[in-house]
Amino acid sequence: MDAILELQGVSMSFGGLKAVDNLSFTINENEIVSIIGPNGSGKTTTFNVISGLYEPDSGEILLKGESVAGLRPDAVHDKGISRTFQSLRLFSNMSVLDNVLVGMHSVTDSGVLASMLRLPKVRREEQAMRERAQEILEMFPGRFSGPRQQQPAFSLSYANRRRLEIARALASDPTLLMLDEPVAGMNPMESHEVMEQIKILRDKGYTIVMIEHDMHVVEGVSDRVIAMDHGVKIAEGTYHEVANDPQVVEAYLGKRAAEATA
Amino acid sequence: MAAMTERISSVLARVPRGVYMALAVVLAAGFPLLNVIGVVETAWLRVGVMSLLFVMLALGLNIVMGETGLLNLGYIAFFAFGAYTTALLSSPKFELRWPFLAVVVVSTLIAMLAGFVIGLPTLRLRGDYLAIVTLAFGEIVRLTIINLQGFTNGPNGITGIYSPLLAGGSEVKTGLAAWLTVDKPIEYYYLVLVAVVVVSILLANLKNSRVGRAWNALREDELAAISSGITASRAKMLSVVLSAGIAGFAGSLYAYYSNVISPESFLFMQSVIVVCMVVLGGMGSIPGVVVGAIVLQALPQVIRQAAGAARSDFEVYRMLIFGVLIVVMVIFRPEGLLPDKLWRRESHEVDPRELEKTRQSLFDLEEGEKDLEV
Ligand SMILES: Nc1ncnc2c1ncn2[C@@H]1O[C@H](COP(=O)(O)OP(=O)(O)OP(=O)(O)O)[C@@H](O)[C@H]1O
Ligand SMILES: [Mg+2]
Repeated sequence: MDAILELQGVSMSFGGLKAVDNLSFTINENEIVSIIGPNGSGKTTTFNVISGLYEPDSGEILLKGESVAGLRPDAVHDKGISRTFQSLRLFSNMSVLDNVLVGMHSVTDSGVLASMLRLPKVRREEQAMRERAQEILEMFPGRFSGPRQQQPAFSLSYANRRRLEIARALASDPTLLMLDEPVAGMNPMESHEVMEQIKILRDKGYTIVMIEHDMHVVEGVSDRVIAMDHGVKIAEGTYHEVANDPQVVEAYLGKRAAEATA
Repeated sequence: MAAMTERISSVLARVPRGVYMALAVVLAAGFPLLNVIGVVETAWLRVGVMSLLFVMLALGLNIVMGETGLLNLGYIAFFAFGAYTTALLSSPKFELRWPFLAVVVVSTLIAMLAGFVIGLPTLRLRGDYLAIVTLAFGEIVRLTIINLQGFTNGPNGITGIYSPLLAGGSEVKTGLAAWLTVDKPIEYYYLVLVAVVVVSILLANLKNSRVGRAWNALREDELAAISSGITASRAKMLSVVLSAGIAGFAGSLYAYYSNVISPESFLFMQSVIVVCMVVLGGMGSIPGVVVGAIVLQALPQVIRQAAGAARSDFEVYRMLIFGVLIVVMVIFRPEGLLPDKLWRRESHEVDPRELEKTRQSLFDLEEGEKDLEV
């Protein structure tokens, strides 16, 4: 198994607050790793540091052995990391299809002059992009069919907007897909559906790291689980190892409860 | 009555866009014939040329304002760069008479360079700051023109700009060369019309391309855009430079057409008028911007003609009417006369942020989840 992503002693603080503290972990090729932890434990900040929105104070981030720490978000995306956001960030007024097409920006290259002249190679690329977008949208059967693709993203239901964010992130065929709470706000049936889709993505060869609070989903899809608290990794292993780890129980339920269950 | 208008507009909506475009081009191309057969005076051809030049300016400004979402209150400065470059390369000032194509290309490039230079420090700014800095830029350029007497003749401007020779290097008033010299209003009209049509087509292509989508994405959510692989600084710079180039191109044609240019053609008010044209027509909408520019440039002339008002009087009222018109538009039809679909959504039908809040509280209404119909 090859390491896709490797964090080595990554730290990130906001003023006096150490949001991520000397964090190290590895994500291997074609696995699904879930990051869990109570609110404010630094999960999203970890994603933000990896995806280049923040520059880590210290530590190293390697994608297939190549450093991506401190690169700007667009450069990180170019290298093959794409992500979704905990609080949805679609291009709300753009169509469903255009959202996916924007996701392909870094894997396409039509420039301004060629586009103005609509040269044959631009047409071909545009055609190929649209076909690929169809394939991606069809990964969510029945959700983005026909005329719905021309609707603005904001008009979609909450669950469909979450799906669309995943579709946009997939559009660049990323080496690593990072999902920040992909089922947040969904009902159990919808969560289950997304869970199955995430498994299908793994079967297609994607490597996925996911932040999730829904333990049913975490249990259902994760090859490995990493637990964080106060910016520190407190446990790592299979779902059952982590779920039964005293430190994890303590982080979620408090010290007394942890002693009671022990 | 309401049902009737609805029927009409639904029928109109089904006519393919290309038909309207073709119709507009045919109308515009046919207009000078009214002059040829003596129905309208030549003065109206001049109004036509100026309207077309402003259409070009509005199309250029729309790239930054409508597509990328950056305000520019000093846009007329790029028009000035194009006009002065042309004046210097094709007038007795330095006794130069470069070929038309070379002059137009160099004028465009100089304006683009100016766009690049002003873009470097300012593109990191947002909203209000960008507005102030671009406004200052426009004024600095104008004041520099006034004070750089050696180059620009200051407030007197540059006179005697040569007519464009579409072929050949010297003024031969016979045969083919005479035919290819542009100097009558009708000739300028067609020259500028061709330029406007070409620019519109190029920009329409760009709008529905990878580049245009990147601009829209930046405007919608910059953080999501950069996280989707778009290099914000590069994409924004591209839109600023391109829009500056179009203004430079228009400026070059303007200098040729008017023979004389002086700093008073490049006042702050002119920048504001171009902004108004984009807003009135509909940000991000090419047909809208064309209509906006024609309405604001030609309509006042029509009114002036009708009212027979004295020139100085009229200028005062013109700005007043503009002001009222824009206020009315912003209140009743903020998306513009012929809006782009993105901006129509943005400006009033549904506020996505409001919707978001409602959705957040409703999302777990179990199975009943439905996409909104728009
Ligand atoms: N931009 C910021 N500026 C200041 N503090 C921040 C910033 N972003 C996050 N924090 C703080 O860092 C800590 C970790 O936040 P983070 O968003 O990473 O938590 P999380 O694990 O994703 O939580 P949740 O499960 O609620 O999403 C929190 O205390 C948060 O308030
Ligand atoms: Mg979070």
